[in-house]
Amino acid sequence: MTDPTPPIRIPLTQLAPGRRATVECSALDALPDGDRCLLTAMGLGERCEVRLCRRGHACIVQVDTTRLGIDERVAAQIMVTPIDDAT
Amino acid sequence: MSGPDTATIALVGNPNTGKTTLFNALCGTRARTANFPGSTVDHHVGQCALGGVALEVIDLPGIYSLALDLPESVLCADCIDGRLGTVPDAVVLVLDATNMLRNLQFASAVLRRGMPCVVALTMTDAARSAGLVLDAASIARDLGVPVIEASGRTGLGLAALAAAAHDIAERQAPPMPAAPCPAAAPGTAACADWAAGVLERAGGRATRAGTDALTERLDRAFTHPVGGIAAFVVTMGLLFTSIFWLASHPMDALDAVFGWLGAVVHDTLPPGLLADLIADGIVGGIGATVVFLPQIALLFFLLALLEDTGYLARAALSLDRTMRRFGLPGQAFLPLLSSHACALPGIMSTRLIPGRRDRLATILSAPFMSCTARIPVYVLLCGLLFAGEPWKAGLAFVGCYALGIVAGLGTAWLLRRTILAGEGRAMVMELPPYRRPSVRTAVHVSIDRSRVFLRNAATVILSISVVMWWLSAFPKVEPSRESVALREVAAAATAAGDEARAAELAAAADADDARTQARGSFAARLGDAVQPAFEPLGLDRQLTMAVLTSFLAREVFVNTVAIQVQAGDDVADPGTMDSMRSATRDDGSPLFTPATCAALLVFYVLAMQCLPTLVLTAREAGGWRWALLQLAWMSALAWIAGAIAFRMVAA
Repeated sequence: MTDPTPPIRIPLTQLAPGRRATVECSALDALPDGDRCLLTAMGLGERCEVRLCRRGHACIVQVDTTRLGIDERVAAQIMVTPIDDAT
Repeated sequence: MSGPDTATIALVGNPNTGKTTLFNALCGTRARTANFPGSTVDHHVGQCALGGVALEVIDLPGIYSLALDLPESVLCADCIDGRLGTVPDAVVLVLDATNMLRNLQFASAVLRRGMPCVVALTMTDAARSAGLVLDAASIARDLGVPVIEASGRTGLGLAALAAAAHDIAERQAPPMPAAPCPAAAPGTAACADWAAGVLERAGGRATRAGTDALTERLDRAFTHPVGGIAAFVVTMGLLFTSIFWLASHPMDALDAVFGWLGAVVHDTLPPGLLADLIADGIVGGIGATVVFLPQIALLFFLLALLEDTGYLARAALSLDRTMRRFGLPGQAFLPLLSSHACALPGIMSTRLIPGRRDRLATILSAPFMSCTARIPVYVLLCGLLFAGEPWKAGLAFVGCYALGIVAGLGTAWLLRRTILAGEGRAMVMELPPYRRPSVRTAVHVSIDRSRVFLRNAATVILSISVVMWWLSAFPKVEPSRESVALREVAAAATAAGDEARAAELAAAADADDARTQARGSFAARLGDAVQPAFEPLGLDRQLTMAVLTSFLAREVFVNTVAIQVQAGDDVADPGTMDSMRSATRDDGSPLFTPATCAALLVFYVLAMQCLPTLVLTAREAGGWRWALLQLAWMSALAWIAGAIAFRMVAA
C-alpha cells in the first residue's frame, strides 16, 4: 500500500482565474499580523472556500458572497488547495 | 440611560451592511459628526423618536473586527467596553442577510462582551432575491437577542427596532444564547462552523463562491491595467467638470452676497475701526473661505453617490500599483485629483484611506497640486514672463501644474522613506456589490461634510483672519498729499456737476489711500524686515509684501500687486497687464523682470500660501505639528526652488 497523494498546496496567485480552492490551516501564517487579522476578519479564514476571479497586480477573490481585492504580494503568501470543480 | 426616557444605543457592524443608511433613516438630518475625546476618528450622533420611544443613536464606523489594530476598531471596542465618556445602554448589531457567515462571526465577538444587544437584519430583500429566506426567530434563539428585519431604504422595521433597542436598554438584559458563541476568534474553523450552524438552522446555507456575470464583466473592465485607468480618468473628468459647471453659479452668488454684506456694513456703521473690523476682517475673512462651500458640498455629494455604486473601490484597486511607486495607496489618487480644484475637499477626502501613514503622506502632499486659487497668479506671471508669446505662456502654465504634481509625489516618496517610513499597508479591501446609489445617503454625507467645513471656517479661520486684518489695517496712516489733492479736485468736480469725473477721482484717491495704508501697516513693516530673506528670489519690498499678504490666500497676491501699482485686479484685462509690466521699484528699475517672474511662479507652485488648508491639515492629521511641518517644508522648498529659478533665468 502507498500513501494517498498529499493535497497540492499552491499560492493563491498560481490558481487559474475562475478556479476554486480551499484556504489551508496555517495558510496565512507567512503574512504580517495586520494583513492576516484583516483578511481573517473579512472572511478569508482557515478552511474557507475561495474563487479566484482575476489575477494580476491586484487579485480579485470571492469568498462566500464577498469579493475582495488583494495585492498580489499578499495573495502570493496565501496557500490554498485547488478544488476539482468536477467534484 | 442618558435621560429619564432616552436610551443611548450604538450601531455596530461591518462596512457595507446598510448601517449608515439605517442611522440616517432613524435620525434624519438632525445627526451631527462628533469625536470622542482624544480620538480623531469621526462617528455620528443623532436623536431618534420612533414608535413612542426616544433614543440617542451613535453610528460607529464600519469595522471588520473589534480586535484589529486600526483606529476605527479600537474606537468601537473602547465605546462598547465603556472606556470612552459616552457609554451606550445597548448595542444594535447590524448584520447583512446576504453575507451571514462573516457577519455572524463578527457578531460572536460583540455578543461575548455581554452588552444588552439587538440585531438589525438588513439587506433581506437582496437575500430573498438570491433565494435566501432567513428565519429571524431562529437566529434570535441561537444568539439570545431580539432580531428585527430592518431597512433604512424602505423604512421596514424601524419603529420595531427602536422599540426593541429601547426595551433592552431599559432592562439591561444581556444576551442569553441557545447556541453560545465559541470562544474561538472569528475566522477560525470553530467560529466558522458555529456561524454555519446558526445559518443552517435559520434556513440559510453556506453558499459556494458563485459567479455573477455582470459583476465579473464590470470588474474586468474597471480593474483592467489600461482600461481601468482610462475609465477612472473619464469618470473623474466628468465629475470635476460637473463640479466646476454646477458650483460656479452658487460660488459667484456667495461671493456677491459677502461683497454686499461688506458694503452694507460700511454703509450702515460709522466709518472707523468697528466697520473695518466687521466688513474686512470678519465678513471678508469668512467670505474668502465660505465661497468654496458649493464645491465642497457638490464634491462630497457626487463622491458619495459614486462610492455607493461600488465603483470607487475598483478604481482604487486599479490605481494601486501606480501610486505605490510613490509610497501612496491607490485610494490617494482621488484626494490628489480633488486638490486640483481645492486642497480643502482633497484633504477631507483622505478619510477614504485606511492606513494612517498613507493618509498623512497624502494630506502633506495634496497642497502641492495646483488649485484654482493659483490660477490668477499663474495667468499674471506667465503673461508677464512671455508677453506676446501665448504658446510659451501656455506651456509655462502647464509646466506649473506638472511641477506641482512632481513635487507632491516626490514629497510623498520622501516622507514614506523618512518620518513616515514603514512598510505600506498592502491593498486588502472589500469590493462592495454594484448597486443603485442612495441619493438620500449622499445628501446626508454632503450636509455633514459641509457642516464640518463651516464649523472650521467659523472658528479658527475667523480668528486668524481677524489677526491678519489687524496687521494690514494698523497703525492707521494719514492720507498722502496726492490723495488729499485728488479728493479736493473730486469735490470741485462734484460741485461742477461732473459726477463721473468725481467718482473716478474718488476711486483714485481710495486706491492711493489703500496703497499708503498698505505701505505703513504692521504687515508692511514686517515686509521691510523680511525683504532681505526674499532678496535671493529677486523680490523687492513691494513684492515681498504681496507675498506676505497672500499667506491668507494665494489669489490675494494679484490684488495686492494691483493696489500697489494702481492697476485693476482683472488679469484678463490687457490694461492691467500693461500697468503691471510697466510698474517700477523704488529705485526706478522694472518691478517684474523675467527672472523675478520665474522665481515667483516656482514659489507660488510650491509654497503653502493657504491658511484654511493649514487649519484643515492640523485637524485631519491630528495635530498642529503636521500643519507646521507642511508649512516649513513647502516654504523651504518654494524658497530654494524659487532662488534657483531666479539664478538660472538671470544668468
